Amino acid sequence: MTLIETSPYTNKIKNGSSHQERQEQQKQETLDFIPALHVKDVYKSFDYKISKNNGSSKITNYDHISSEQQQLLSNSTRSFRTSHEVLNGVDLKIREGEFVTIVGPSGCGKSTLLNIIAELDKPDSGSLLIRGTVNDINNALSTKRIMIFQESALFPWLNVQENVEFGLRIAKVHKERRRQIADKYIEMVGLSKFSESLVYQLSGGMKQRVAIARALAIEPEVLLMDEPFAALDVQTRDLLHEELVGIHKTTGKTILFVTHNINEAILLGDRVIVLSSVLKDIKKEFQIDIPRPRDPESPELYEIKKQVLREFEGDLQIAKRK
Amino acid sequence: MLKENDNDNSAATLATTSSGAGKRSSLRNEGRKKYRFDTTDVANVALFLAVFVGLWQLVTLLELWPKTLLPPPAQVAISISELITNNSLIIGIATSLWRLAAGFAISIAVGGVVGLAMVKFQGFGKTMSSFAVGLLTFPSIAWIPFSILLIGFNDFGILFVVVMASVFSVMISTYGAIRNVPLIYIRASKNMGAHGFALFRHVMIPAATPSLIGGIRQAWSFAWHALIGAEMLITTLSGLGYILAVGREFNDMSQIIAVMITIFAIGLLFDRIIFLRLEEKVRSRWGLNQHAE
Repeated sequence: MTLIETSPYTNKIKNGSSHQERQEQQKQETLDFIPALHVKDVYKSFDYKISKNNGSSKITNYDHISSEQQQLLSNSTRSFRTSHEVLNGVDLKIREGEFVTIVGPSGCGKSTLLNIIAELDKPDSGSLLIRGTVNDINNALSTKRIMIFQESALFPWLNVQENVEFGLRIAKVHKERRRQIADKYIEMVGLSKFSESLVYQLSGGMKQRVAIARALAIEPEVLLMDEPFAALDVQTRDLLHEELVGIHKTTGKTILFVTHNINEAILLGDRVIVLSSVLKDIKKEFQIDIPRPRDPESPELYEIKKQVLREFEGDLQIAKRK
Repeated sequence: MLKENDNDNSAATLATTSSGAGKRSSLRNEGRKKYRFDTTDVANVALFLAVFVGLWQLVTLLELWPKTLLPPPAQVAISISELITNNSLIIGIATSLWRLAAGFAISIAVGGVVGLAMVKFQGFGKTMSSFAVGLLTFPSIAWIPFSILLIGFNDFGILFVVVMASVFSVMISTYGAIRNVPLIYIRASKNMGAHGFALFRHVMIPAATPSLIGGIRQAWSFAWHALIGAEMLITTLSGLGYILAVGREFNDMSQIIAVMITIFAIGLLFDRIIFLRLEEKVRSRWGLNQHAE
């Protein structure tokens, strides 16, 4: 069996006979492994200002509001503040060059976690350790962890080439060098023919390819992908999965990939992390040691999928009972 | 693109049938400039003008009003040529355009800076925007008495009115355009290391450009309205508005109509040639023209 079920960095291990053995193994592992990225005990909650006037209520983001709060909201006549917990002490270590996928139901805080890692959002408490040292959040934004968004976020006033060069231009890289690097990555994503094209002329898949090239051109340490292929059709998504696996292999970048699609998560990841919307924390981790490219139809993957799904179902049931 | 090819083809077929050389080159020119001078467009405009002038001629022939009050087109044409030959029209246009350019430049500079300050300081932005909206709807001509007493009958008095008419439009459009830049662009560029001035220059300004152009176009038209009004009432012995006022004083209706036509033509020219083209360029780059094409 190539599947090893582990959750070495949290204290929620439930297992039987080989408990002792596994703990030993974990100790060994933690000793010779300084994570490239360590999200340490991150807590995050959002404040909502809710006001109700004449029966119409205004909420900044309905997704994260629990049913009690909604109830409260419908009964209230004046504005009040409420806070909603999104991440409850998440602790996550990521190795150099590892491809980690994070999967969870909507509203479980997976995007928030990614935003915190990208420093687009600040945690309430907890820290981000890069190779064992605490990252100074007050520093100017680092370009070591580049985010790829669901909607490509390409700049429509620039063409493909200029979009890919954007980060380098900000970093004041020389024009010729910029062009060289951009060409390299545009070629890597197979869009050399389209380097002069404008953003609106590209298909959804091509846009995401440009977004990947743009991120790679900055030569980041970690690629953060927030449901990057969610808006694409199945065929394009399959193709991009293959290409992403290829890019991971050639560049050796650490990739953190958030998705709500279980198939996608187990097809791509070295490690699949299941976030729970009830615990607001990591519920389970699955180490997947099947070599890539993986066959989505293979029985091993199917087995893992069933187990991941089981974690999901529990989550949904608890949510329903609430 | 297709149209151009069509024209090229027809030019080529004409060449093979060895038709007149002049005809061929004119066709080729059309092909090159097809988006500027479409033959059907030109024909439509010519037809419209012909009908308009014809109706005008007809009304004057009916003699509902005396000729001095409603002169026929030919007389207005003579008046235009007179104004051109004695240089007063050229000087008037030059003066007016100079004032317009100066006032408009001041408006863009001041409005842009204040608009950005409104984005930067939220409290100021909120109060200033309601204040500016009030002044945006304020009739520019109502500034004229204020300007005459404060500054006097000179170029600066006119400039003041022009600036007051257009500055708030620039201010509000800058404020709105920058505030409405999609957050995802800002997040993405911050993530790629852009901050401070670089963020502003490489992301905020280009992202705001399409709506900025709309605001500037509106500001220009406000400035133009205000300029002619101010020139008529703040007498400085030059400018199109002044020539218009002189025409009224001498009961010279054909001069009045001649200047009106000039004002109309300048307004149209600026809007079509500068602003429309600028807007088209930006829109096509952003891919916002998909429905129109």
